[in-house]
Parts: sequence; structure tokens; C-alpha cells
Amino acid sequence: MQKSRSCILSSHSRQRTTFGLVCMTMAFASFITLRSTSYAADGVDQSAAVTKTADVLPPLSIRFANENASETPDFQRHVGPLLGHLGCNGRACHGSFQGRGGFALSLFGYDFVADHKAMTDEDSGRVNLEDVHESLLLYKPIDEERHEGGKRMDVDSWQYRVLARWIAEGAEYDTELHSLDRLEVTPAEIVFGGASGNASEQLRAVAVWSDGTREDVTDLCRFTTNDDAVAEIAASGLVTSKDIGDTHVVVAYDRAVVPVPVIRPSQVDASQVARPADSGHMIDQLVKQKLDKLGIVPSEVCNDSDFIRRASLDLTGMLPAADRVEKFLADASPTKRSDLIDELLKHPAYAGWWATRFSDWTGNNEQMLNNYLPVRGMASKLWFGWLQKRLADNMPYDKIVEGIVTAESRLPDESYREYCETMSNICRTSDTEAFADRPGLPTFWARNNFRANEDRAVGFAYSFLGVRIQCAQCHKHPFDQWSKDDFDQFAKLFGPVRANQNNVARDAQPEMREMLAAIADGKKLNGGELRNAVTKALSDGQVVPFPELTVQPIEPPRNNNKNARDKNNKNKKMAITPPVLTGRILGESDKVAIQGDPRDALMAWLRSPENPYFAKAIVNRVWANYFGIGIVDPVDDLNLGNPPSNAALLAYLSDGFIESGYNLHWLHREIMTSDAYQRSSEANVTNAGDKRNFSRHVPRRLQAEVLRDSLYLVTASDKAESAARAELTGLAISGDMNPSRRGRNDFALQIFGQSTRESNCDCDRSEQANLLQAIYLQNDIDIHQALRQNGGWVEQVTAAWPKSAGNAGSAADRGAAMAKAEERMRIRLEQRVEQMLKMPEARQTQVRQRLKKELEQANAKRAEYGYQPLTLNELVKAVRGDKAANAEDTAEDATKPEAKRKGVAAEEIESAIKSAYMRTLCRHPDQEELAVAVTFIQESDEPVSGFRSVVWALMNTKEFVLTH
Amino acid sequence: MATNRTCDGMVRRDMLKAGILGGTGLTLASYLRMASAGEISQAKADRAIFIELPGGPSHIDTFDLKPNAPDTHRGKFSPIKTNVPGMEICEHMPRLATCADKFAILRGVSHTLAAHELGREYINTGSRPLPSLEYPGYGSVVSRQMPTPQDIPSSVAVPRVSQGPGFLGLKYASLETNSSPQTGRPYEVRGLSVGGNITIDEIHRRQSLLSKLDKRFAYVESDRQLLDGLDQFGSQAYAMITSKRAREAFDISKESPAFAKQFGEDSFGLSCMLAIRLVEAGVRYVTVQLGGWDTHQDNFTKLSEQLLPKLDAGLSGLFTGLDQRGLLDSTAVLVSGEFGRTPKINERSAEGGRDHYPRCMFMLMGGGGVRGGQVIGESDDTASAPRHNAISPDDVAASFYHNLGIDPQTEFNTETGRPITLVRDGKIISDLFA
Repeated sequence: MQKSRSCILSSHSRQRTTFGLVCMTMAFASFITLRSTSYAADGVDQSAAVTKTADVLPPLSIRFANENASETPDFQRHVGPLLGHLGCNGRACHGSFQGRGGFALSLFGYDFVADHKAMTDEDSGRVNLEDVHESLLLYKPIDEERHEGGKRMDVDSWQYRVLARWIAEGAEYDTELHSLDRLEVTPAEIVFGGASGNASEQLRAVAVWSDGTREDVTDLCRFTTNDDAVAEIAASGLVTSKDIGDTHVVVAYDRAVVPVPVIRPSQVDASQVARPADSGHMIDQLVKQKLDKLGIVPSEVCNDSDFIRRASLDLTGMLPAADRVEKFLADASPTKRSDLIDELLKHPAYAGWWATRFSDWTGNNEQMLNNYLPVRGMASKLWFGWLQKRLADNMPYDKIVEGIVTAESRLPDESYREYCETMSNICRTSDTEAFADRPGLPTFWARNNFRANEDRAVGFAYSFLGVRIQCAQCHKHPFDQWSKDDFDQFAKLFGPVRANQNNVARDAQPEMREMLAAIADGKKLNGGELRNAVTKALSDGQVVPFPELTVQPIEPPRNNNKNARDKNNKNKKMAITPPVLTGRILGESDKVAIQGDPRDALMAWLRSPENPYFAKAIVNRVWANYFGIGIVDPVDDLNLGNPPSNAALLAYLSDGFIESGYNLHWLHREIMTSDAYQRSSEANVTNAGDKRNFSRHVPRRLQAEVLRDSLYLVTASDKAESAARAELTGLAISGDMNPSRRGRNDFALQIFGQSTRESNCDCDRSEQANLLQAIYLQNDIDIHQALRQNGGWVEQVTAAWPKSAGNAGSAADRGAAMAKAEERMRIRLEQRVEQMLKMPEARQTQVRQRLKKELEQANAKRAEYGYQPLTLNELVKAVRGDKAANAEDTAEDATKPEAKRKGVAAEEIESAIKSAYMRTLCRHPDQEELAVAVTFIQESDEPVSGFRSVVWALMNTKEFVLTH
Repeated sequence: MATNRTCDGMVRRDMLKAGILGGTGLTLASYLRMASAGEISQAKADRAIFIELPGGPSHIDTFDLKPNAPDTHRGKFSPIKTNVPGMEICEHMPRLATCADKFAILRGVSHTLAAHELGREYINTGSRPLPSLEYPGYGSVVSRQMPTPQDIPSSVAVPRVSQGPGFLGLKYASLETNSSPQTGRPYEVRGLSVGGNITIDEIHRRQSLLSKLDKRFAYVESDRQLLDGLDQFGSQAYAMITSKRAREAFDISKESPAFAKQFGEDSFGLSCMLAIRLVEAGVRYVTVQLGGWDTHQDNFTKLSEQLLPKLDAGLSGLFTGLDQRGLLDSTAVLVSGEFGRTPKINERSAEGGRDHYPRCMFMLMGGGGVRGGQVIGESDDTASAPRHNAISPDDVAASFYHNLGIDPQTEFNTETGRPITLVRDGKIISDLFA
């Protein structure tokens, strides 16, 4: 399912400046109304707004059905939208930035001034007031031959008559914008295959203008479908049912964007499907309401082993420890699942994993902070630690964001020197905790890709609103209300904040220069040399200067043009009243002055309960962490044209989250305690195709960090594993493996799709599978080494297992070395015994005495290693037993003379296999799996290598790589 | 408009008429029409080798010498004749001079991005970098558009790529070897060679064990796309790891000493030889990198003593070797850094250096339908700017793709559904294929 959203431009360039910047004045009060109406359109109470047809102007197709229509069409209400409807202002046609054939229209319309100008440009002949029908505007689109875009309409059509009539009446445009109050679309929801059984349904759209005019504009709307596999929609607004499922069709006219849910319920007979019991959980009720409409029965709740694995991976990004799984499986408490959630929320991995996710969303990227701090890699590490501490403390979400949005570099009473002293210490000793104790995260503002106002507008909306407003940077957002003016006004707000790497407050500049002079020590250094000198000075214990975030009010532009000034002086003194510079928060009517620090106003707006995005964005992101898909999907694309799959659910969670005081623990607990979260991945006949309504667990590949860390934990020695579990040592979720320069990241994290955190998109992280990942898991040197490492888990488990001589190099592990020494000694003795047994009796007695002495020495050594003493009789028995056993298998014996001698007891093999299952898949193997693995090991040349292969195979199963 | 100027009086056909290429360049329809009418020659190459020179090689000291420029610009090197009359290159590339008939020199290629990473992204994609979108490198586009047998990687980078798959997704990422071949040492690739004390037999045994244990999702009806995808990647990885021809494609020790000798002993030359082996084995796209061109200081010593001898051996080996193997006609070759270097010599070191200079640079193209032995474009008297019309990286990309039979106007969708034209603004340089 590929949705067509975000920017619909093929040439979408920030560098492009030739595109007309036309500011429009907007009556913002009506803008707000518009928004709320459109929201109301999503789902529920639309029908109440439908009015008596009598008051409604019939559509243009009726009013202009014949030649003698006398009405004058309006440019904003009729002509502009008609051009859109005919496809003229599409991206491939005149809506392209270069235009086509010299004629350029604004993409998706709404730049009425420019569009009107382009159409009525005197020399173009597009509009010919003298000879209306010779206007290119009419003459081109009726002719296949002359119009590159082909034939768009007939001469004998209402469309032609509308355009002709408008031209005939002077082709005028009243620059005063009509304000659209709302767009009423009926029906408000379409359910196919229900009682009506209709395969298609016509939508009707009525525009309600603020002056009370109501007009049927169905003919003029732009219709799109969010999933053409479920519903198609024609340019006429006719919706046609396709596959089973649910989606939205979107109706756009003027500024309004109205989504209409379309559902085609499952036709499968669900009577045989077992219905899971109702949990009474609010989430489950809201999910069920939607599932009932779809005819979907949810799956049962998953088993305990799946639950502990899933909950640990999702909430803490960490595979549960084998003994914890055993304990959990044995636990009979009815509250053990919620107890586990509470336990996991306190685990250090919780803060580590979520600091990883928050780092993604806030754009923690070392490359973007290159040279910002004098120690490489420090900026992203400190950023991560700052988040980690707050998450560990469960600081309310709005407070965390406040620390970022209103960040200051210095504490209230801190001098520049004190600030530099503290920061020098922090960077020198990598003291992430000391940095985390500081209230603000100014580095957020200092990133290279967060410098220009436009970048900040885009980045800020991405991080905290989950909104993609970049489209509106160049043209009206095709799926949302945002116009280019909204974007520009919003972007202006960020102007006063300065945070580049050389920025310090004005009063601190002498101090900074002094410090730099001391470091340069009289030498003239260029930029790179100076940076190196600073880094060295820092490591030598000196205090070095640090950049700081400052707020510099934007002054009204002065007339700097000398000529113009002179000219003014010559004529008369012009009284210049400096305008108050303002920007505007998205969707708000009040302007914010940018002659001070606008960030407090931004924060107040984020936190206000009426904010339509702030809570929803984070709730949706957290939800997607648990379900692999957001209630709004894509997760970071909250817009009118991309409504939630379950609006009531999103509203419940975001309201609850705000009520809880932005308590993230509340949110995690609320989601995870629901049956919806705990569903099995096993589908029934009704829900096998469902991926967006939470009726079952949809398997997904483990996230890059989680998978990499899982591989680490499975193969790590007990000691390394417990350090990882307690301190996150060696793990990707420790913040030590942040993405750095392209191509220089940890190899596994890179190929498994760690977020690159560079383009303001949640798609910077990839959960896609690919070939390189399979090659990595199967045959990468990382994997081979992890399985063979000295002191690693495989070696620990098999320490007492016999190994071939070729494998004796593990001096690092005394236990294994001793085991090998013991083994060699025993083999030598057995060989001596074997030789002895072949000798004549008399000679045997002599040799037996010598052997006894050797055995004494050997036993002394064995005692040193912690082994029981051997007796000669045991050795004799062993050798005789071996011979008997091998008699039947002499052929194999000939090639592998020592194979059978080195057997390991079946119980020991079984127990190792069971541990491996618990470590990797969090469950016991079934009888068949156990038998397969045991046989495999027994058939291996060397049992240790056989066991290594079993662990390898488990790490390569889909069950390991996926959630379930 | 690509240039219609020639260098040193070589006879050339006229360019496409300006009108045809005006506006946004060729549309698909007109492209196809012209292609079928023979106005643009049909693609001949079905694989490609990109020699990337990160750091930005000096153009005025290599392929665009100006012996008559003033002392402040000229530099220390003299031009030498090549086996193509009128085509001259730097004296420190004598071997390449013997095979100049196999490649075309582009002069006066021009853009405006003087930072390494941005410039590299531009050169590697043919689209000026955008903050909101990462374009895919050539190799990823080729992977996406051209099928490859299961056990052969479709795109390989020796040792790395500068530009990832961008919005096309990791699925089309090049296989990065992460290492370059060295003289006298066996060569292996991360994950692909059999190593770590694992034998082929053991790999087969492990796979059969895996197939017995990987059962949990075997009979699941839902989510087949994901599950089948994992299975497919798994078996493809297995195929490649155990494939003799995949392994042997990387095993440069299989080359005859006589053939290998042409590439010299340097790692870059061996990488070029590896590239030939790879495309011969069916790899669609190979990137080879030779870095070190950021000669802000000691420009001339670095060039004459290290960089140019390496480049000379590697490139002459590449073009000659491709030709000997009969692969030159089917392999598109592109050689480029991210920018040229300032024609005016700086005084930062005793002998001087040159700084970043995107306004005027060179590139080489050869193989496939490219007619070798010609110079396209021209710079001014001091190699400071294109003399007439600039060739843009977009034009080069359009031409490179065209050589591979990939329509530069192909449209892709990003992950968010945003449609993107492969090469937005490029025009095919038809003289290349004349």
C-alpha cells in the first residue's frame, strides 16, 4: 500500500528562489473554524451539518448546462478550482515550477494572485477580451493537436462555458479572499457490502462560505484515495469499492481537506471463529468498535513466552535474560504481566532504548554537530545522556521538550567562564551525567541542518508535532490546510535564535578571544589548526571556550541602500515607522513578536491542551513502537488528508496522556496492559489481512539496535552479559553507537537500518529486510567471532566438552584450557593403556607399574585443575568399552580415529540446547526440535562445533529476527 | 545545453538543435521518439564501472592542461600527445596516453558546490542535493533497474560508496567490500568469503539444520510478504556465500600474471582489475575509489609522485583490460571527482597547492556507446570556467544512464509517495555517442 502524500513535486528545491513569493492576508479566525470542521468530518457527526438542498446553489454543471447561462463565475470559487479539476495545475503540467509552454500556475492552486496574473498576462493571449473564443485558455484545452497536455474539455461543455463566461465578463479577480467556512461532504462515511450492497457511491460536496452562501462544488473538488486497493475514486467523486478493508478518500476544495472513511467489511463467515473475552480495557473497547465495523474478530492473547519476549524487546529494546524467562513462565500470579511491565519500566534499558528513539525524533546526529564541541563524538553522546536521564527519572514529556525548546546554554547565574569551565570538564571526562544535570539541551538548535529558519520550521514540526509542513514551503500543502504563507510566518519565528559553533553572547566575546589567544599562544592558526589546538588544550586540562545559544531580536529592516537614502534626503524626510515584526504559530491567529525570544510562546502553544498535534504526535509514535504501525501512518505525517485509522483511540490516548501530566510511564502501561497489545501473531480467517486495526500481532523485524544487541547478549559471556544488562555496557542502546558520518557507523547497525537522523523523517530508520542482512547473519565475521570468542557463552557452556587439538588456542579462558589439557592427558594415557593391552601378559605387568606412576603424576595435575583422580582400571575399562563400541563402525573410525572417543553425554547436550533456545527464542524447544539439534551435534565431527552451529541456526531463524 | 565546442580542431558533428532540448529537457515521449529515429543512439552498455576520485582532482594538471597560461596558473606539468591526434593529457600519465582512443574527456564540467560531501552527492547522483531528500547513487539505480542472477551481487563498491541508495531503500544498497585488494595477499569480502574457520561443508550442514529449525512461521498464511522476503534473502545469501562463481569473481589471484601485470602493484590498479572480473561475472555496477586528491598543499609532488602514477596504471589497465576481454562495448565507464581545483596556485606550501573549485572540472567517460578518442567541452585560457556552455553533472548523469539504457526521466516514488524524476535537469550529451 503506497500512499501518495508529502510533497508531490518532482522538482522540490529549497534553492529555487524564482518562484513567486506571494503573501496572502488571511482571515485567521475562519481558518480555525475550517480546521475544526474538517476534523469533525473525520468520522462522526457530519450528517447533522447537511442542509436542505433548497438553500444550496446547484453545481456549475447544471448552472452552465446550456449556452444562455448569465452568471459570472468567480475566480477563487470557480475558475481556479476548475483549472485544478481539469488537471491544468498538476505537477507535470502548468503546476511545475518552470510551467509549461511559458504558462505557470501555482501547484494545487491557492496562489490566486499569481495564477490570475499568469492567466491574464497581456502579451500572452491566454485571455482575449476582444475575441473571447480566441483566448488560449479556451482554444488550447479543447484541441488534442495544439495542446501538449491533450484535450481537456469539449467546446460544448459546461467547463468551456464557465471559462468563456468568466473571460467575457472581464476575467476579473477580486483580491479580497472569500473565506471558506467549511466543506460538507456526504455521505460522511461509506460502508460497502453492508445492507445497501452498493458497489459504488457518489460523494457530494457543499462549500459553505462565511457569508452564508452554500454551493454544490462536487464538480470542482480534487478527489484522492488513500488506498486504491480498497476504494477507487473518480474525478467526479464516484467511490468504487475494491478489496476488503478500510481506508479514506479525501476531498479537497479551496483550503478544505475532508477525509471520508470507506469500509468494506470482511465477508468471511466468522461464526466458527472463537471470540476472545472482553478485557474491559478502554483501548480494547475502542479497537473492538472499529473491528466490529470491519467484521474482524481479533486473535487470542499470546502465550507467556511470547509476551515476555515481546514486552522486553518493545519496552526496553533488550532480549530478556534466560533465567528471567524461566521465572516468568513458572510464575502463577494473575498479575504477572503487569508486574513485568512495571519491572521493565524501572530497568536501565528502558531509558537506553527510549533515549535512542527520542534521539531519532529530535535529530541527534553527530555529523550535524561536527566541530560544535572540541571532542569528536561528544555532542551526540551528551545529547543521548541528557535524554536518558530524563527518561530514567520519568520526567513528564512536556518538561523534557521544554528543556529542548527553551534551552539556554548558561545557567541563570553562570558567567561565561564558569560555563566554559563546566563544559570543559564535561567534555574532558565524558561526564554525561553532569551534562544531563543541566536543564537545557541547546545542541538541538546548533545542528547544521537546523540553522536556516525554514529548516527549523520543518525540523521543529517534525520533532514535536509529527507534521510534515515542508510541502508548504513552496506551494499549498496538497493534503492539509497549510498554505505557503502559513509556512513563511511560522519559519520567521525561529529567526532570533542563534546557535552556530562560533556564537557566544556579546558580553562573552572578549573572554572567548582571550581564551583562544592563550591557546594559540602567539601563533597564527587557521581554522583547523585552531580547532586542534583547542582540543589539545582541553585534554591538557585547560579551560577552552564553548559556543552558546543566544537570542538576538530581529530588528526591522533599515533602509541600507545609500542611494535610496540620499534620494530620500534630497526630496523630503520620510517618516519611517518601523513595523513590529511578527511570526505566526501554525494554525494560530495571534501573531508572536520576534523582537524577543519567541520560544516561550512556542512552548506554551505546544503545551496548551488545545494543541492538535503535540500529544498526538508522541502518543502515535509510542504506539507505533508497540504495533509496528501508528494509529496515524506514516507516524510523522499527521495531516487532514491522512486521518487516524481509529480516531477515537488516538483521542482517548492523547487526552489520557495530557491528563496524566504527560506521564510516559502511564502511556506505556496503558498500551501494554491492553489485550490489543498482547494479541497473538496467529491469525484467524477474519483478520489475516489486517495490518492497521490492531486485531493481531503483526510480526516485524527487530530494530537495528535491538537486533545487534540481541546477537551480542546471546553470545556474550555471563560476565559481559550481566554488565550489559545492568549498565548497558557494550550495547547499542547505551548511546555509544550513535550514527556518525555516512558509512562510518557500526556495520551491523548500518545494514539493519539504524536511523541516520538527518532528514526530519521517521523513515530515516529502516525496518526493511535486505540481502546484506542475511549475508551478515549467516556469514559475517562478527557472527563467527561472537560464536567462537574466548570466554563467550558458547565456550562457557561447552567448557567441559572435548575438543580437537586444533582448537586449543583459547589461552584466555583458563577453564577451557584446562579442559583441553586434561583431555590431552587422558587421551595420552588411554593410548598407553591401549598399547599395553596389546602386549603379552608378562610385559603388561611391567608396563602397568610404570603406568601407575605416570597416572599418579597425572592425577596430581588433574587435582590442580579440579578433576577427580583416575584409576588404571577405569582407563582399561574405557579403552575396552571404546573398542567394543567402535567395532561396528570401523570405516568411520579409520578416518576419524578420535571421533567417538570424545562423546558428550546426551543429557549435557540437551541441556545446552535448551539454554540456547531460552537465550535466543525465550522458550523451550519442542521434542522434535530437540531431537533434530541433538542428532546434529552428535553427528558433528566435534560436539562444540555442532553446538556452535545450533546457536548459529537459532540466530538465523525468522523467529529470532522477528517479533512475535 | 551541452557544449558544441571541440578541442584542438577535431572534426565533430553538430549538436542536437537547441530547441529540442529546451525547457525541462527531453520528455519521455520525445526521448523515445528520438531514440527510435536514431537521433540518440541506442544504449549499448548493460553494466558500468565508476571510478571515483574523492578529494577533487586538479583538472588543470591532469586532463585540461593550459601550457600557455600564466605562471600563476600553469603549474609544473607539460602535456603529452596521446594515440589520438590532438588529444593531449598530462605527461605523468604516459600509459593512459596509449589508450586515449578508448575514452572521451569532458572539459568545462561545472557546478557550484565546493564542499566535499555535497559535491560528491551531486556528482554521484546527477541531482543537486536537497536537504529533504537523498537521491540514490548510480549503483543503486542500476540495481533497481537491471536484473542480476541470484548468486551475484548487482552492485559492488571497492571499498565503499560515497552515495547510498537514498530514497530507493537499502534493498538496493551496494555491497561494500570495505577493503581493497593488496599485492601478494588473498582478497576477501565481508560476509561473502568463506572464513572464520568455517568450511563449505559446515555451511551446507548449517543450512540444512536451519531449514529444519526455522519452522515457526512455515505454515502461517498472513504476513507472507515479509516472511517470504526473509526466506528469499536468506537463500540468496546462502547462494552467494556458497557460489563458486561469486567467490571467484572476487578472487583476483585467478588472473593470469600477464593480464595482471598491466594493472601495476598498487591497490587501485588491482581494484580496477577486480572491477573487470566483477562485471565479467555479471555484476552490474562496480564503484572503485582512489582518494587523496585534496591537494591544498604540495599539489605537484603529490600528483607526480603518487596520485598520477596510480591513476595512470589503474585507468590504462582498466580500459585496455576491458577491451582485451571484449567488455568495453558493454561496460559504461565514468571517472570523476567531486570538483576541480583552483587554477590559480595558492602559496600555502613551498611549491603551492590548489583549492576546491567546482566551477570547472574534468570527467572521463568511455565504454558502451561512447565514442572514445574525443574531447567534449572546453574551458577558457586559464581553465577557470567553461569557455562556452557548461556541462552540468546532471547532463553527465543523464548521459551515463542513457548509455546504460536507463531513461534519465524515469520516475520513482519515495517512501512517502513523493514522485521523483531520476535526473531532474540533465540533458543527454549526444556528442558522446556520435
